[in-house]
Amino acid sequence: MKQVGREIPRLEVRAKVTGRADYVHNLRLPGMLYGKVARATVPHGRIRRIDTASAQKIPGVHRVIAGEDIRKLIAEPYYGPAFHDQPILALNKVRHVGEPVAVVLASDPHVAERAAQMIAVEYDELPAVYDEVAAMQPDVVVHDMLKPAGTFADLKHLKGRTNTNVALDYHLRRGDLDAAMARADRVVEHTFKTQQCLHLALEPFVSVAEPGDGVLTIHTSSQTPSFVRTEIARLFGWPENRVRVKVPHLGGGFGAKVYVKLEALVAALAVLVRRPVKIALTMEEQFYMITKHPTTFRIKSGVDRDGKVVARACEVFWNGGAYADIGPRVTQKSGFTAAGPYDIDNINIDSYELYTNRTPAGALRGFGIPQLVWAYESHSDLLARELGIDPVEFRRRNVLREGRPQASGTAMKDAAIAQVLDAIAARMGWSKPFDRGHGTMRRGRGIAIGFKASISPTTSVAIVNVSADGSTTLYTSTVDMGQGSDTAFAQMVAEILDLAAEDVRVVHPDTDVTPYDMGTLGSRSLFHMGNAVRLAAEDARDKLRALAAEAGLPEGTNYPPAEIFKKRYGMQAGNIIGTASFVPTYKSPNAQTGLSDNVTPFWMIGGAGVEVEVDTETGAVRVTKLVNAADCGTPINPAIARTQLSGAAIMQLGFTLSEDMRLDGGQVTNASLADYKIPGIRDIPPMENVLVEAEQHSGPFGAKGLGESGTFGVSPAIANAIHDAVGVRITSLPITAEVVLRALRAQAGKPLEDE
Amino acid sequence: MIPFEMVEPQSLQEAVSLLDPEEPTIRPVAGGTALMLMMKAGVFQPTRLICLHAIEPEHARITVSGEALRIGAMATLSDVEHDANVAARLPVLKRAMRTLSNVRVRNVARVGGALAHGDPHMDLPPVLAALGAKVSVAGPKGHRELPVEALYSGYYETVLEKNELITSVTVPARNGRKATYMKVTSRTADDWPALGVAVSFAHKDGTIRDPIVIVSAATEKLTRMTSTEKELQGATVDDKALARAGEAAAAEAQILADAHGTAAYKRELLKVYLRRAVRQALAEG
Repeated sequence: MKQVGREIPRLEVRAKVTGRADYVHNLRLPGMLYGKVARATVPHGRIRRIDTASAQKIPGVHRVIAGEDIRKLIAEPYYGPAFHDQPILALNKVRHVGEPVAVVLASDPHVAERAAQMIAVEYDELPAVYDEVAAMQPDVVVHDMLKPAGTFADLKHLKGRTNTNVALDYHLRRGDLDAAMARADRVVEHTFKTQQCLHLALEPFVSVAEPGDGVLTIHTSSQTPSFVRTEIARLFGWPENRVRVKVPHLGGGFGAKVYVKLEALVAALAVLVRRPVKIALTMEEQFYMITKHPTTFRIKSGVDRDGKVVARACEVFWNGGAYADIGPRVTQKSGFTAAGPYDIDNINIDSYELYTNRTPAGALRGFGIPQLVWAYESHSDLLARELGIDPVEFRRRNVLREGRPQASGTAMKDAAIAQVLDAIAARMGWSKPFDRGHGTMRRGRGIAIGFKASISPTTSVAIVNVSADGSTTLYTSTVDMGQGSDTAFAQMVAEILDLAAEDVRVVHPDTDVTPYDMGTLGSRSLFHMGNAVRLAAEDARDKLRALAAEAGLPEGTNYPPAEIFKKRYGMQAGNIIGTASFVPTYKSPNAQTGLSDNVTPFWMIGGAGVEVEVDTETGAVRVTKLVNAADCGTPINPAIARTQLSGAAIMQLGFTLSEDMRLDGGQVTNASLADYKIPGIRDIPPMENVLVEAEQHSGPFGAKGLGESGTFGVSPAIANAIHDAVGVRITSLPITAEVVLRALRAQAGKPLEDE
Repeated sequence: MIPFEMVEPQSLQEAVSLLDPEEPTIRPVAGGTALMLMMKAGVFQPTRLICLHAIEPEHARITVSGEALRIGAMATLSDVEHDANVAARLPVLKRAMRTLSNVRVRNVARVGGALAHGDPHMDLPPVLAALGAKVSVAGPKGHRELPVEALYSGYYETVLEKNELITSVTVPARNGRKATYMKVTSRTADDWPALGVAVSFAHKDGTIRDPIVIVSAATEKLTRMTSTEKELQGATVDDKALARAGEAAAAEAQILADAHGTAAYKRELLKVYLRRAVRQALAEG
């Protein structure tokens, strides 16, 4: 039976529903200590004194550890994927409220919690900077000196820089912007902003480190086990084979659990005290770990009489918070698509990653793309209005067609942008009459499309083991955090080895066992690991054929593997190991122009169509229809693919309408699920999820990733629909009812008072 | 959460005796849905909790006495939601339950706790206040009774002594009065309300008689809006009269800004929702 394309449920669904699935939260080891973090209470300050005496006195406290204790173990205890800027525990200075300053270890987590509250830290407070545009000026400098990690070539020029908060400046120059703007019939400029929000996985961060004989084992809720191993080994100056990283199931990741989060801390603590150490964050503590970049995006377009965009200038400021994390990659990898999926000859892009005194920002389902689409698709709609062209028609005139070069110079290949646009328009009944509401309830509709390049070049390695009875096991370090990768890979292996997907066992990441993978992020797994899995399964198939030949079986016959093994080894013995690694080709962008003709192995395309009802008396917005469409190539499991699309759209719906980390003097004022509002079941609109017919020729079985594509269009489609309904334009997220009412009242010349 | 002691008295009287009027870290716990959140957040750190689960079962009953409905303080919100007498006599109360929290919380949270907690965002107190309900309170000196609207003295503050317990709430007969409650959320559907508006009134010859108007969530404490009631008294239900009443309410209510919205915004909501509440009460009958 054909395995690829089957709509089987996720392989782990029974274990999850019956509560049998493994999570690090449930892990208890003999002798294990619980760590509770004492956190910075000021946004920016020099540490004058850390008083741990009263915490140490609490009965049951094993030990209290601060940054200087870590430094005795690791001389340079700074980590990070792009910059080695983040101390395991604060040293000398704190740079955001909630930064870990000290840890209490105790056998009883409640004792650790109580003791952590007793730690008193004195600071010399420093002026702080919170806004990404303000941080462009070095009035307040978050880091004394920039320390790029050396991993990325385009960060090298930043090494040793002082008196700046700019952690990356990325520039793209295509054509002649100034000349094209001068020739343009009309030039239109807008500024759009996004707020700080966060992943809020229902399983908060959790890691356990277990010191052993010559090996340190880290059990962690991580999307990047291979990276964790490399980085922990680097910190300790050990070979990689002395660090073992194991990842069971995850209760969500969304880009939060990438690179190093709690792992360096538990590793250092466990090595210091020679006992297993577990740190499990509360839901509230997640607000101090990693967030989504707030942004300011200035976008300017020149258009000609026919509604063709001839020039576009993009200036994007990314608020990276106190530590760079992967922010500089967001700035560049997403930055080069800032002009949108449009065929524009003259483009300037300037994209800046800024340090500020907020919780760090990194990757969140879309790697910066939703912030960009918010701006360029709101802007597209305003351009269409300005020109009096239907918004769908305006996009059709400008959209990047197959084979045309994108801003970076890389040609669009297997990128069904126009098809996604058409699918949304069709499902919305765009050409049909539309009920615009009446009285205090007005209706409107909007669309938006976006695209994303894949992070590149990155490597995945897979192992397929066929046992002597023919049963098959797949080893990868891809983390199935709910996206269905285990199931999709099992389907691929089953397809090639002529098995049922349900019979393929998928081993979860364990770096002593499973081979290298760059990470489960950026929707890269299905394409990269998928290719590796396909090749490894083919390798196993070829080796089985060779084994059959060795056993003297005639070529072309279809013996079951168990019989081949038996024939070859005289009993149920031996196994076949199929292996493969996959890394796509890539060309780094030119340092001056930001151009490259091979910047991504594939393109992700997503878009949304939205109908809304706006209550003109209260500003309340109700999404009454949401169409999500994407090009994911040929889906391996269409049912799971559609839920990826809807899940991403729901997440973005929250970032659009309600989610907002509020800051007062650097303090997060709503760090809880009660005050930071994610969508509930009653907020979810009727949805249609459409996978357009497409094929990614370089992908496994024609497929590619789509974990993020559902986020792209949601925010601007909603703003566009609100504009359509009531004639006001919202340029900052989130779009709360109050924001809409204020805009309505300002439009009517009866503005609401400020307070 | 820090360790604490938990005791389980077998009677109301014993429960009262275990409470300490001077010690704020000793508190009663019924469903625990609100208290547990405060404890997990570290806002409240008890030394001892007096668990009320084992007191006499009569305190969990919903009974009809004469024309009135008596709801025991230990009745869960689900008990109220599914009670046949509540459905027949006070459909507004049953409807309000559906928008109040979620089924998991309603299965555990108790009526007494919902009244005594003093959080102005809670939905049950304004509904009961608009229905003219009275709470019975037991203390070391015996019983007393007071209207729901008189229970609150401030933000998370009630007039109850620390060794008093609410034992029941009594809702008088509706006598054909119209009533409704509107929970207004400004962010997500399951959010705490930005504003709660509860109204009840008699409707005779096309005019409003003896209205009760309660505002919650947007104010420091649940508040009865007496000026607004005067504005509505004898009014015919039309846009003009309701707009006047809305203006009166916006002027009268001491509205506070918080994460749900600015005070200016919530005043606008109050104007709109007072009108909608009166119309909804008439429509729901």
